Amino acid sequence: MTVTSYTERPGSKVDEADGLSVPWSRPSPKRKGISARAVSAVTILVVLAVWALSARLQLVSPVFLPSPIAVWNKFILVARDGFVDATLLQHAVASLGRVFAALIAAILVGVPVGLAIGISTVGRGIFDPLLEFLRPIPPLAYLPLVIIWFGIGEPSKILVIAIAMLAPVALSTASGVRGVSQERINAARSLGATRAQVVRHVILPSALPLILTGLRIALGAGWSTLVAAELVAATRGLGFMIQSAAQFLVTDVVVMGILVIAAIAFVLEFTIRRIERVLVPWAGRE
Amino acid sequence: MPHLVLDPHLVLDKVSIQYDGQAAPAVELVSIDVAKGDFVVLVGRSGCGKTSLLNVAAGLVAPARGRASINGKPITAPGSDRAVVFQNDALFPWLTARENVAFALRLRGIRPAERARRADELLELVKLTDAGDKRIWELSGGMRQRIGLARALAAEPEFLLLDEPLGALDALTRERMQTTLLDLWTASDVGVLMVTHGIEEALVLATRIVVLAPGPGRVVRSFEPGFSRRYAAGEAIRTIKADPAFAAARGELTDAIFEGEAA
Repeated sequence: MTVTSYTERPGSKVDEADGLSVPWSRPSPKRKGISARAVSAVTILVVLAVWALSARLQLVSPVFLPSPIAVWNKFILVARDGFVDATLLQHAVASLGRVFAALIAAILVGVPVGLAIGISTVGRGIFDPLLEFLRPIPPLAYLPLVIIWFGIGEPSKILVIAIAMLAPVALSTASGVRGVSQERINAARSLGATRAQVVRHVILPSALPLILTGLRIALGAGWSTLVAAELVAATRGLGFMIQSAAQFLVTDVVVMGILVIAAIAFVLEFTIRRIERVLVPWAGRE
Repeated sequence: MPHLVLDPHLVLDKVSIQYDGQAAPAVELVSIDVAKGDFVVLVGRSGCGKTSLLNVAAGLVAPARGRASINGKPITAPGSDRAVVFQNDALFPWLTARENVAFALRLRGIRPAERARRADELLELVKLTDAGDKRIWELSGGMRQRIGLARALAAEPEFLLLDEPLGALDALTRERMQTTLLDLWTASDVGVLMVTHGIEEALVLATRIVVLAPGPGRVVRSFEPGFSRRYAAGEAIRTIKADPAFAAARGELTDAIFEGEAA
């Protein structure tokens, strides 16, 4: 394939199937030729094949790179008999419980903070610098401080995840609030809405699509903080399982754990997209 | 509320409007009086401040000088005694058409069953009886504006403020909406203050047309065309528009609007 399509006019037949996402390539799923999904499937198969082959040919020691079959067998085994005193499901439930507890905390704090940033100048003055300070710090950096302050119990783990979730929730809420059309607010006020009613009946529902996007990003951020949160004094959890496995060089459990974390993240993303479609069917139709 | 003023009036008294950071006022010394049952239409070239004046009446813009009052009380904030309908309908897409209409009732804490009943009455009034459960994005532009009107009427306002409500509609829908507006006005007996670009629209709808000129916005002429009274008395809109008096009035109004403009 060449890149001549960058200079072609829209609708030209040249390189229609090259899969380059040029600005005018039509996103129609009925497009002739190769679909992005097919390319993805092939890519995954190739990666799996390379992995299986290099394990089979012993290019790398199985201690470092277990074969896909070994990882799959380990998955079955851990799901049934468990690893470090808990089954895979118990590890997953422990991790999901932490992430969802953190999500609730992040919503309870982040949405009001985002509202304050979006609605009032004073709110923006207070919270904007704090969030901008918090946002770029990696969880591993504040983990020790959280432990010094709050101990090694469950609250600390939830807090570490919640901190990672706070900024996406609050900032998305704020940009959703700022995006509310003035005309809609004026219409509500002229129908007799008080300030509080405008917030409750106009601003919040208007901002809901972006709040949900924020939750989706936050879940991703929180889920990826999991291993850090379970570094200290956990007895269950996917992150804990991976670390324990790593300490005993049980690489197949490590790889399996990584894949399970990725799979759950995928399911979460998919689920929340579904929820978005049900809760805010008007998003993108205005 | 004590009825100290028997005849409700929406009054702009020698109103001047000046926006922050602008040396010249947008509007200077404009007085408009809308009584209940009036249909006052503001027309004028771009920049004459018609929408600004409407916003003052709505309580969305504070006048720099002069007074805006409703039934003798100064206007300091928006209120449901003067419901506004905007050019972009500003409907709420998370609500159904019926819930949009019932919005003002919901704000007042009226029970859902009663809300739905009154909303359905208003939907019937704007001839959208079957659209109650529709989502906003399923409605055409004309239907949306009718929902917007019904939503404003649900607040039981004494005055309706219409900011180019038909401006975004196609010509045919526009024509049909003009009679809808007249029907609603006749049926509800509200006072209307409306802004429009349409010369014919102004003539069809208004009991009084106030012509504004820009730089700064001021009143240059005032007409009382009387065609809307004839419609209210039962004459067909086509007959009215075919009347030579209508054509004459259109010419006169057009001249008044473009008077003093460098050709």
